[in-house]
Amino acid sequence: MNAPARREIWREIRLPGVQLSGAATVAMLVVAVVVNSALQPNFWNSYALTSNFATFVPLVAIAVGQTVVVLSGGLDLSLGAQVTLAGVVAVQIVDGRLDRIPLAVAAALGVGLACGALNGLVVALLRLQPIVATFATGFVFSGLALVVLPTPGGSVPVEVTTAYRDAVLGVPVALLAILGLALLWWVLRRHRVLRHIYAVGGDADAAYASLVPVTRTRVQAYVLGGLFAALAALAILANTGSGDPFVGNELTLASVAAVVIGGTALTGGRGGAGGSILGAVVLALVTNIVFFADVPTTYRQLVNGAVIIVALALAGIPALQKSPASRKRRPVA
Amino acid sequence: MPRPSRGWRAAAAAGAVAVLLAACSSGDGGSGGSGGPGDRPYTIGLSNGFVGSEWRTQMVEGLEAAFAEYQKEGVVDELVVESADTDVNGQIQQIRNLINRDVDAIIVNPNSETALDAVFREATQQGVKVFAIDQAVTSKDVTNVVIDQAEWARTSAEWLAEKVGRGGDIVVVNGIAGHPANDMRWNAAKEVFTKAGVNVLTVADGNWDQATGQQVMTNLLATYPDIDGVWTQDGMAEGVFRAVQAAGRLDRITISGEARVGFMRLWNEARADGFESIGVVNPPGGAVSALHMAVNVLDGRKLATATAATATAGGNGNTVHIPIPFTVDETTFDQHWGKVSGESAAYSLDGSLTRAKAAEFFE
Repeated sequence: MNAPARREIWREIRLPGVQLSGAATVAMLVVAVVVNSALQPNFWNSYALTSNFATFVPLVAIAVGQTVVVLSGGLDLSLGAQVTLAGVVAVQIVDGRLDRIPLAVAAALGVGLACGALNGLVVALLRLQPIVATFATGFVFSGLALVVLPTPGGSVPVEVTTAYRDAVLGVPVALLAILGLALLWWVLRRHRVLRHIYAVGGDADAAYASLVPVTRTRVQAYVLGGLFAALAALAILANTGSGDPFVGNELTLASVAAVVIGGTALTGGRGGAGGSILGAVVLALVTNIVFFADVPTTYRQLVNGAVIIVALALAGIPALQKSPASRKRRPVA
Repeated sequence: MPRPSRGWRAAAAAGAVAVLLAACSSGDGGSGGSGGPGDRPYTIGLSNGFVGSEWRTQMVEGLEAAFAEYQKEGVVDELVVESADTDVNGQIQQIRNLINRDVDAIIVNPNSETALDAVFREATQQGVKVFAIDQAVTSKDVTNVVIDQAEWARTSAEWLAEKVGRGGDIVVVNGIAGHPANDMRWNAAKEVFTKAGVNVLTVADGNWDQATGQQVMTNLLATYPDIDGVWTQDGMAEGVFRAVQAAGRLDRITISGEARVGFMRLWNEARADGFESIGVVNPPGGAVSALHMAVNVLDGRKLATATAATATAGGNGNTVHIPIPFTVDETTFDQHWGKVSGESAAYSLDGSLTRAKAAEFFE
């Protein structure tokens, strides 16, 4: 089977659910922005925008990474720990010195790729359940992070933290970073690896029959996940200016939530990172809204969780409605 | 198959970006903070990144009570409390929320000595005054309103050194190695012991936790059968006491205590058998002291030169040491115990600057 024909197949399988849930995601984003700007009088001023985008970037990056893994039919519960590990390694290397930044960035990316490769080997070669396997490797990565940096500390050159909060021609650098991540996804999306990932996640047997290297593709998905985790780590460092051996742990579940809100099916093969980026922004805005709605701190986590569950449910409705249709379509293709 | 929503989504995304860009370039550079000094009433924010201890609860409640008094006088209008278990990243978000909420001053109990520096800079640039309590931070944009941890540790260390005498053997149960407050305390205490000729046989960590402290002390008692004393700090004295008591050696081992009700109850019961201890107050009321300071600063008053000089001597030039409220020892035990004996075990004895005392720090 030639490449265009294969593309036709996954387009047929993938598109029906995505379009509607994509619309649901955009709708949720609009509602979140409207509610947030109604509750927060200075939502549109430059400081509020810059600080909001600065907060979004790490979650956006890790959500893109999780999307790639989920599209391949897997799940990576160690992504947050990878963020932590890549971050502490980078901060130990940079040690407040501007000239060591390239080395630190390379090291962080290297750590992300290595963690992803380990996950890929465990899941694709040893064939362990992704949820359990990556949950376990997550502990390994967290443990390593504690060895590298036992207590919060280390420092990033002040130039980096300042630049991260700056704006270029009135556009916050953090927003540019998000656009950069979207661009990176757009490029990947056109690459053969991503097409294979869609094919494997949609139907591994069919992909295997079409000569897609299934095992290698799965490993590549986890490696790409690790790469985006490393980018998230760099964003956190630029945001905090210092290392913390626990910083990434809360990001793992948020990344999965962002993926689901973004309309990507957890069963794999359907969806895309565009939705996940919007999903990540929605998640972050929900946290803002709960704060500006004057929910007392004791209830905030409760309300936050409840709103996220509603968002997850809303994101799931179109897929539910559409699934009989997509089943019907399959024989046609 | 037609794909109308593709283009629609692209248009929506492009539209959103366009709106954002327009908003960014038309932004007014931040309206946070107050117009100028003396612009009453003030809005105050509290950022607290750890809620797992009674001490922090006391801190928040004490601040709320002091705030209510100012509120009645029309000095302040709203206290925005951001208090949740969170990491550094979460606390950065807390502080950004407070800045976006247009508060005039932020009182923060920081989760890190250094990692919040960048967000403190954001606050200062938006015209918000920041006061760090409990744990001093390195940022020059912040005024630290803290007790002198070294003095706090020295007081109990000197008492213990006198009790065990020159040549006495002690063990130490510290908090968390590498934690800034722990290191500051232990360095000061170590100096006292060296000067007094007291032998420190070993130093162990009890994580500022009663149960861990008790476990650690039990192990130490088994390893070092002939010690004369034990120095411990903040939140572990109760556990240490129970371990020594279980070993039946209360009469031979001197314990440096703490000004918390749980320990004082044990202390009170053992006094009949001649047990003596000391408890230096580490006040949750530091938040109240910081509130008084904040109101003075927002009123446009400058730190007195004497205070500024002490602040410079105190390290980073941004630290104001508030006095330790009081120390509980044999002579004052009854007086303090009478007031707090009804409180829960985790209650810390407390104290804060009065408004008049706080005003003395200013010109």
